[in-house]
Amino acid sequence: MDIMSTFVGLSSVLTGFAQDILAPRLDTTNIKTLYLQSWTENITQETGDAGLVNTILQQYAELQAAGKSDEEIGEQLMNGNNSPAFVLACQKLIFLWYMGAWPDVNAQPGTETGGFTTSSLLSAESYTSGLVWQVMQAHPMGDSNYRYGYWAEQPPALSDFTGN
Amino acid sequence: MTNTSKYDVVIVGSGISGAIVAYQLGLAGKKVLILESGPTVPADRSGYMETFYKANAKTPESPYPPATQGAVPSSANNPLGLPNPAGENIPRYTVLQVGAWQKKDQCYFDYPAQVEGIDGTSLNANFAFASSYERLGGGTTWHWLGTCLRLFPEDFKMKTLYGQGEDWPGGDAFYQSLVPFYETAAKEIGVSGDKDAMEKLYRQFYVNPEGIYGSDYNFPMPGIDQTLQDELYAGITDMTYEGNPVYVTPTPQGRNSRPDERRQCAGNTNCIPICPIQAKYDATVTLARAEQTGNVEIRYQHVACNIRLDDKQQVCGIDYLTYDQPNGIATGSGTAVAERYVLAAHAIETPKLLLMSNKNPGFENGVANSSDQVGRNLMDHVMYLGWGLAKDPIFPYRGPLSTSGIESLRDGAFRKDRSAYRIEIGNEGWQWAADDPGTTLADFVFGQNNSQLNGNSKNKQGEELRFNPQLPAFSKLFGKQLVNTLNGVYTRQLRLGYLIEQLPDPENRVQLSTTLKDNLGLPRPHVTYRLASDYERKAFVSAKELTTELFAKVGATEYTKDPGAPVFSGKPEELTATNFQYKDDKGVTHNFRFYGAGHIVGTYRMGDSKETSVLNARQQSWDHNNLYMVGSGVFPTIATGNPTLTIAALAFQAAGHILEDLSA
Repeated sequence: MDIMSTFVGLSSVLTGFAQDILAPRLDTTNIKTLYLQSWTENITQETGDAGLVNTILQQYAELQAAGKSDEEIGEQLMNGNNSPAFVLACQKLIFLWYMGAWPDVNAQPGTETGGFTTSSLLSAESYTSGLVWQVMQAHPMGDSNYRYGYWAEQPPALSDFTGN
Repeated sequence: MTNTSKYDVVIVGSGISGAIVAYQLGLAGKKVLILESGPTVPADRSGYMETFYKANAKTPESPYPPATQGAVPSSANNPLGLPNPAGENIPRYTVLQVGAWQKKDQCYFDYPAQVEGIDGTSLNANFAFASSYERLGGGTTWHWLGTCLRLFPEDFKMKTLYGQGEDWPGGDAFYQSLVPFYETAAKEIGVSGDKDAMEKLYRQFYVNPEGIYGSDYNFPMPGIDQTLQDELYAGITDMTYEGNPVYVTPTPQGRNSRPDERRQCAGNTNCIPICPIQAKYDATVTLARAEQTGNVEIRYQHVACNIRLDDKQQVCGIDYLTYDQPNGIATGSGTAVAERYVLAAHAIETPKLLLMSNKNPGFENGVANSSDQVGRNLMDHVMYLGWGLAKDPIFPYRGPLSTSGIESLRDGAFRKDRSAYRIEIGNEGWQWAADDPGTTLADFVFGQNNSQLNGNSKNKQGEELRFNPQLPAFSKLFGKQLVNTLNGVYTRQLRLGYLIEQLPDPENRVQLSTTLKDNLGLPRPHVTYRLASDYERKAFVSAKELTTELFAKVGATEYTKDPGAPVFSGKPEELTATNFQYKDDKGVTHNFRFYGAGHIVGTYRMGDSKETSVLNARQQSWDHNNLYMVGSGVFPTIATGNPTLTIAALAFQAAGHILEDLSA
C-alpha cells in the first residue's frame, strides 16, 4: 500500500467515516494531501520524533494486513500499549479531519473541565471539508448545497453522510 | 479643497438608513452625494466568503474589511492577532474586542478603568459594550440577522404606561404615523412573513390587526418554512408565565421565501456573518436602486470628520479625509456642500462626528448638542442565552439562523418592574452559546468537559449532564463511538436568546477619547456602559427561570452554564467584560453574563423638547434645521423588537420630511 492509502485507511478507522467519503474517487478538493502533510509536520515538530508518524502508519498497515477489523485496529491503536504521544497524535488527526483545524490541547487532568483546546484552521477548504458538519447531518455553516425548505424535513440518514 | 455645491443633499453613511434616504431623494430628482468611510461594495461576495471561511473566530464582522483577526502575529497577549486600531483609517468595534476591552492596542473603544472596591452586584460596575457594526458600503446589514418585527404601540409610550424609560415623541400619534412606513419598509426589504400568525399576536396585545396591516395587506412573500426545532416549541399551547400566554410566532424575515431579484433562501445557516447567496436583504440592494435613479453619487473611502456651521447656525459643509490603503496615509481632504445634510453613520460614528465638530462658535460641545444629549443613552438588547439538549433529534445547524420566536411576553404590567423581552429561537445549535461544534468535538476526542457532556457536571436542577452515562467521565472516543456520540449531541442542541429591553441611561454614553486616535488622527470613541438599575437585572432572573420552565415543558435537558462571578479587580487582562451578579428578592445571588444583540441604539435621540433630545419628531436637529439624522440612534427607547425594520420605516419617513423641506 502506498502511504496515502495507508493514511486514508488509518483516518477512516479513527474518524469513523468510510474511506470513500474521506477520499472520494473524484477528489477535486484533495484535502487528504493537505492533512497528511500538516499532520506529519506538526506532529514531528511538537514531539521532536521524526519517526512517530511513520510508526503509526506502519502499525495500522500491519494490523490491516493481518485482517483485523476496523474496531480491532482502533482498539489496538488507541487503547493498546502505545505511548501517550502516539495516542495523542492519533487524536489530533481525528480533530483535524473533523474541524479542518490544527488543535492546541491544554490538558489539565483532575480539573472540572480537564483543560481546554484551541485550534487554527488550515485553509478555507479545510473549513468546508470538516466532518463535524457531516456527523451532524447538516452542512458547513455558509456552504449549503441544499435547497429552500430542506430544514423543515428530516435529513438523509447518518450513514449517507459517514458512508458506513 | 473641493467644493461640491451641486448637490441638494449630502448623506454620511451608506447603510440601510442612508441608502433609503438617498433612494427616495434620488427618485424625486434630488441630487445626492453619499460619503462612505469604508470601501466600495464588491462586485461579488466571494472575497468576503473566502475571508470568512479562513477566520478562526467566525464572528459577525469576520468576513469584512479591515481584517478583524490574524492582522498581526499571534501572541500570548493577543492570541487571535487583533489589529491595532491606532494604525487603521477606519477601525471599528468588533465582538472580539469585548474580551480585550482593557487592551488599548486591540480595542477601538477607550473604556474607563473599572470602579475600585465594588462587589459583583454593584450597579456602578463598568462593562464592555457587547455589539458591533461595519464601516463599508451597505453598512451593518451585511451581518444582520434579517428579523423584521414591528414594534408594539406600547413600546412608544413606556413612560406613560409604566413610568419607565421615555415615550417616543407624541406616543400613540408617533406610532400611528409610522404604520404606513412600516409597510413601505417591508416592501423595500422584501419581507417574508406569515400574516395570520402576526395577527394572532397583535390581537393578544389589543391591537386591531386591521389597524396594523389593513384588510388587503399581506407580506411581500409567504413566511419562511419553520425548522424542526420550531415545531418542537410550537407544541406548547397551554403554557403561561406570570399570567401571560407563552406561544411561538414564526418570525417575519428579510430573506426570500421565493426567488425574485434575489435568490431564494437555501438555508446556509450563516445569515450572520454573511449570506453567501444574498437571499437575505442587505442595504447594497437599496444602494444600487439609489444609484440607478441617476441622481445619487457615492464616494467611498471618504471619512467625514467635521461639520461646519455658518453664522446662522446652519450646516454649511461636511469636511472629509480620503485614504487609499486601509493603513496608509490620508491622501486628500475636502468639504461636501449641499442644501440639506443627513447623518446616517450608525449610533457610534454619528455621535462621534457630532462631538468632533467642536470648532463652531456657540457649539463647542459639538454640533447639534445644545441639549448635551449627543452620545448619551447608548442602549442594546442585553441578551441572556439558555441552552439545552432535546430528548429527540431536532437537527439544528440547518435553515436560517432563526425562524421563530416567542413574542407573547413583549408587553405586560410587569414592565413597571422589569424589562420585557422577546425570545429568539436559535437554529445554530450551541455555536453561539458554547462555541460549538469545536467545543464538544474537543471534549470527546481529548477527554475534556467544557461542553459539560463528558464529565461530572450537573445543571442547577441537579441533573447529571454526562451525555452517555454508560461511558466514563472524560472519555476519549474514536471511530463509530465518536460518530454516534457527536451525532447524538449535535442533532439535539437547542438555544434560546432573550432580547432584554435596556432602559435609556444618560450615563451610558459615547464621548471622545482624550488619549486614543485612529490612523487619520481622529479621536476614538470613549464608551461608558453600565447596567445601573435593577430593572434589566430582574429580567435576567426571569429569563433564567423561564428557560428552565420551557426546557422542562418540551422534555429537554438544560445545559445553560453558570458563567461564574465577575472579576472587577486585578490585572487588566483578568477583568471580566460582561459578567455581573444579581441578588434577587429571595436573597439568592445569581451569576450572569450578558451578550450583545448587535442593536446599537440611542445616542442622538428624538424627543418633544430641545432641552432633552437631539432631534425633533421629524428626525431634524433642534439646533440646525438643515441637518437630519437617521438610524437607530434616533430611538428614544430600544423597545422589544429587533430594530432594523423600524430603522428602515423611520428612514422613509425622514426622506419625506426632507423632500417637504426642499420644496418649501
